[in-house]
Amino acid sequence: MKVNEYYRASSLEDAYSKLQQSPKNVLLGGGLWLKKTAQSYDALIDLSCCELDKISETKEEVIVGSMVTQRDFENSPVVKSLFSDALAYSVREIMGVNFRNLATIGGSIMGRYPFSDVIAGLLPYDVSLEFYPKETMSLEDYLNFKGKKNSILVAVHIKKGSGKGYYKKAKTTALDFPIVNIAVSKVNNEYRIAVGARPMVGALAKEAMKYINSVSSPKKEDFEKAAELAVKELQFLDNKDSSAEYRYDLAKVYVRRGLEEVSK
Amino acid sequence: MKVSFYLNDVLVSYDVKPHEYLAATLRRNGVKSIKVGCNESSCGSCTLLIENKPVMSCSVLTASVEGKHITTVEGIQEEAAKLSRCFSNEGADQCGFCNVGYALVCYALKKEYKNPTDEEIINYIVGNLCRCSGLYSQLKAIKAYLKEE
Repeated sequence: MKVNEYYRASSLEDAYSKLQQSPKNVLLGGGLWLKKTAQSYDALIDLSCCELDKISETKEEVIVGSMVTQRDFENSPVVKSLFSDALAYSVREIMGVNFRNLATIGGSIMGRYPFSDVIAGLLPYDVSLEFYPKETMSLEDYLNFKGKKNSILVAVHIKKGSGKGYYKKAKTTALDFPIVNIAVSKVNNEYRIAVGARPMVGALAKEAMKYINSVSSPKKEDFEKAAELAVKELQFLDNKDSSAEYRYDLAKVYVRRGLEEVSK
Repeated sequence: MKVSFYLNDVLVSYDVKPHEYLAATLRRNGVKSIKVGCNESSCGSCTLLIENKPVMSCSVLTASVEGKHITTVEGIQEEAAKLSRCFSNEGADQCGFCNVGYALVCYALKKEYKNPTDEEIINYIVGNLCRCSGLYSQLKAIKAYLKEE
């Protein structure tokens, strides 16, 4: 990576203005994946003076600043209190503490990384992204958005609700990327299922969700059918970590277990 | 560009390139205790503390630490000596390349947790790899270190 200028933005307005000046100006999140790019940049824009590193809550939602580190996210009592600790748990197995003290929630989302535990972990909840200049979109819409977003992610809004969450990161070794990651929720009596690292960015299994939400008191066979529907509607591919078949089989088992877990 | 920060409580200023990483800056300026293993945020050998939090210095841009407090093993010598004794007692090290990273991460663990469980210890140190010895002896050594005053 080559950089001509390190720019410390004094405000969001200042950062946005700098971002628009060149297509080779980029925002700096945790900077961990930027390092791996062989590209050259005109300017790296540092957002650390923009006060985006706080977690707050209102009666309806939890608001996570985009520069909150994964470590601060997992340790936040507010985040831990959501959905039986499932959100905090989803980042707890990402590398080590010395990595998570650098990686940011915003950086993990904006990169739309296929292996992202943050994205898969957030997806089955009512999550919206707040951008500067003023714009809000759901996490799912952002993942489906084509092209590069040339605005600044300010915060992640997580709507509160009563219910449970489940997260499973299937991996070969402690520090490895997930072979597949599965997140299931039952919030306000509605089931949602997300599967990531297929190896594509996390996605909701909508047919399976439609089915399981249509059953009044789902039993074991209903969860099995929903898991079957989920893996059939989502695409799984091969890469060096795993075959598509293995991912398919793992996802099917963990989606079922997730549904059983959140239904208790 | 010029970047100033506190290195073990001493204000230092270095001329750096905008894309230079902290591990490289420190080593170039004589802080050879920082070990660079994988150089891609995986092994934890280059761990140091920024504002008392352990981070991998191979992945921190030097420009981003302006005004911050950086602690290397030189800044925690007494604690490092205690951990070293515990490692020695348990036969928990061989080549020593990873020890500096371990010392800093264990020091941070001790500060952050009062009585950590084995799971919490493992979760905390999992980002520091040792390719010589078994990790179980290190866990025993770390538990002994955490009990020391």
